[in-house]
Amino acid sequence: MAAPQAVISGNGDERRQLVVIFLRGAADGLALVPPVTDDHYYRARPRLGIAAKDAVKLDERFGLHPKLRLLEAAWREGELAIVHACGTEDQTRSHFEAQDLMEHGGIVAGGWLGRYLQTRPAAARGALACVAVGKALPECLLGAPTVTVMQSLEEFAIAGRTPAFGTQLEKLYAMQRGQLGAAARDTFAALVRIEAMRTTTYRPDNGATYGRDEFSNGLSQLARLIKADVGLEAASIDLPGWDSHFAQQGQVEGLAGRLAEGLAAFRKDLGTRMATTTVVVMTEFGRTVEENSAFGTDHGRGSAMFVLGGGVLGGRIHGEWRGLAPEGLERRGVLEGYGDLPVLNNYRNVLAPVLARQGAGFGAVEMASVFPAFEVKPMGIFG
Amino acid sequence: MSVTRREFLVAGAGAVVAAGSGCGPVKEGAVEARRWLGKPTVPPLVGALTPPSATELDEVSHVLNRLTFGARPGDHARVSAMGVEAFIEEQLAPKKLEDGMCERVIRHEFDSLADPEGALWPRKGEASDPLQVLFPAMKDKGARVGNLYEYKDKVLLDDLTRATVLRAVLSERQLYEVMVQFWTDHFNIDPSKAEAKWLKAADDRDVIRAHALGNFREMLRASAVSPAMLWYLDGRANRRVKPEDKPNENYARELLELHTLGVHGGYTQQDVMEVARCLTGWTVRDKKKFFKGRVEFRAWEHDNEAKRVLGVEIPAGLGARDLDRVLEIVVAHPSTAKHVAEKLCRRFIADDPPEAAVAVTAAAFERSGGDVPTTLRALFATEEFWKPEGRGGKFKRPFHFVVSALRATNAETDATKPLVDYLVRLGHAPFRYATPDGYPEAASHWQSSLLWRWNFASALAGNGIKGTRVEGEELRARLGGDEGLMATVLGRRAREAERGAYHESGSGLALMLASPAFQYS
Repeated sequence: MAAPQAVISGNGDERRQLVVIFLRGAADGLALVPPVTDDHYYRARPRLGIAAKDAVKLDERFGLHPKLRLLEAAWREGELAIVHACGTEDQTRSHFEAQDLMEHGGIVAGGWLGRYLQTRPAAARGALACVAVGKALPECLLGAPTVTVMQSLEEFAIAGRTPAFGTQLEKLYAMQRGQLGAAARDTFAALVRIEAMRTTTYRPDNGATYGRDEFSNGLSQLARLIKADVGLEAASIDLPGWDSHFAQQGQVEGLAGRLAEGLAAFRKDLGTRMATTTVVVMTEFGRTVEENSAFGTDHGRGSAMFVLGGGVLGGRIHGEWRGLAPEGLERRGVLEGYGDLPVLNNYRNVLAPVLARQGAGFGAVEMASVFPAFEVKPMGIFG
Repeated sequence: MSVTRREFLVAGAGAVVAAGSGCGPVKEGAVEARRWLGKPTVPPLVGALTPPSATELDEVSHVLNRLTFGARPGDHARVSAMGVEAFIEEQLAPKKLEDGMCERVIRHEFDSLADPEGALWPRKGEASDPLQVLFPAMKDKGARVGNLYEYKDKVLLDDLTRATVLRAVLSERQLYEVMVQFWTDHFNIDPSKAEAKWLKAADDRDVIRAHALGNFREMLRASAVSPAMLWYLDGRANRRVKPEDKPNENYARELLELHTLGVHGGYTQQDVMEVARCLTGWTVRDKKKFFKGRVEFRAWEHDNEAKRVLGVEIPAGLGARDLDRVLEIVVAHPSTAKHVAEKLCRRFIADDPPEAAVAVTAAAFERSGGDVPTTLRALFATEEFWKPEGRGGKFKRPFHFVVSALRATNAETDATKPLVDYLVRLGHAPFRYATPDGYPEAASHWQSSLLWRWNFASALAGNGIKGTRVEGEELRARLGGDEGLMATVLGRRAREAERGAYHESGSGLALMLASPAFQYS
């Protein structure tokens, strides 16, 4: 393999890319990474438990959902690490509140990724430093110095009948102060950068094949931006639909399949560029240990997080794990019944080492500005 | 069958035109006939179209900005003549407003929807389900809902979307349409989930449109037993047959968190679980069954033991009446008034709603038992609503932006895919928001898609959207030239920089619609 190509950012350090994938709706960590040697698991999930014989074996305790099989290679090659029993310290079981808390990084204004980008030197903040794939700005990027929200590069052009339309518009928006003015300036800057790329057709490298769904398509656009060296530092993309209260088996299978297919293609496509790329997969909370009467699971607490990329201490499950014996679970209220998988590993402690690896000069002060009012204990996810 | 209905409508039109032609000029009869034949339509540019003449947004432009989906040419003159107070009162009583053109377009275009009164809906006893003929006692709303399954689900979503856009563009009952959107977000349902595909159309009619300017308590009751909601938030699967069955909490949580008390409204996880227990047994018949879409309470699936919700004891044995007890408790909770008032103030006053206005609005909500017009009247009377510094300070959400552009330009539109695609691109097409919190209101969510706004403005003014047409030259002429056109779009006279850009841009109308000022209301 060729040596990773170093790309120097405006600041003079090597440019790294962070891609954050949010599984919206609370993904069932106990289906994605089932504790296949824990009898309590099958007792709580007589109908939904993933059988050990179906799962991809990870280690002595855990398997991988069969539909995540495409991630096995990354695991074996030590590029994929997993943290289980992971989530936020907050007890909320509201999707929106939990997503907001997690994306903001606690009860704090703006998003953690937005604040991280604010700590980067001005020279690193190109117009395409940050891209959100989708239709709307995710909460984690609130407060970012610049964000481009887009679904596809192909469509990123101004459609005026004459160039004067764009010029006059730019003039009017230049006089706008505040958020709107900044948003407009970012848009004009990004238009110029993308114009060049727009005119060519994309062919993924290394024989990578992306799925035809929106998620895979989004990842292929990101791979393209990364390889084109347009100055991308951080990107976000969602894979929604995980709220599996009802008949969850098919739902989780479909989503897990898309997640694995997209990630595997992205990794292959980037090839040696993966050395400078980190992908984080997260969700707002996990689901009840016990299945409900409708073949589904309700809102719980801990779930799993994935970290994929160069330098990762992969092929292992990081962090604390206490099994699913009832005494180790978190009570759901005063009523009887099974508890929830507790959050033993705070999501910030997973994100912290990721950020520390991203930016040169990212120290304690910067960390405190990204995750205020929280004592960060970075997990040893990188070698 | 749809052909027959359509033929009937067209045939019936002749009679109406003939009857109408006696009291109006022949030309209006012709316009009338064209509407009946189903061409996309717009109100004629008649009467005084005097554009706003102030240099800042005056009170008239302000109420038009906030209470409507944007001013049409002539609206400023009309509201100036009647006075803003009279306009507000008129909008708070939508049933008294003549809205013939909009209703005719909707009736003509949509077999599947029609107006809330349901003239075109199968009424009681008209259902096609054969069992209903045999068992007249079963003739109820379930029958009306069941007929929706006769449509392809894509047709229904298209129809609902188009009707929503057309009503926002055409209806005289503008505040009503604004509130329909508000409650659609508040009680959001993504119809892509299971049978909500068919049933959201009934929810739109029987929950949202039936109560948008009515009573909150009644709307909440209708929503709780709305077949689409029972599918969307899994209420249909919330049951207790065996003592060890766990209730499905999905609806119970959103009821407290989103529909009533609000996330910090003072309930606990325990309350969520107790509410879920109260609602066990309510379900909806699925499409494989007779009486599909019918909501029913199954006593044998209900947890009939005692519960405690928000500190209030609910005795054992109430059965279906648990639902009414729960709704009474949550509606009466002071957090509900505050939560709804805060959302209303965010919509009508500012993203960061002033506390004083929220307090006044919440008090009106509580005093009136959730009467929406009374609550809004109080909000519109607050000092904060009128403050000159606040005018033009609400960033329009994309739907508002697109509809206001169509209205400002008196565009003719059939609201078909080419237009709706812009809304999809802008992330704000009706009925496509996946999660129950509804589309967000605050500006920060909407400012990153400016490019698509500019491209829409350019396409609209350049007649580049199939099925949508702007007569730019005629409009400019009727408004007395460039100054009048700019003032009509902006709601005030253009500033020097805007005037310059208008003339230099090569497409003045597009530039006005794309300008920073037009993004705000």
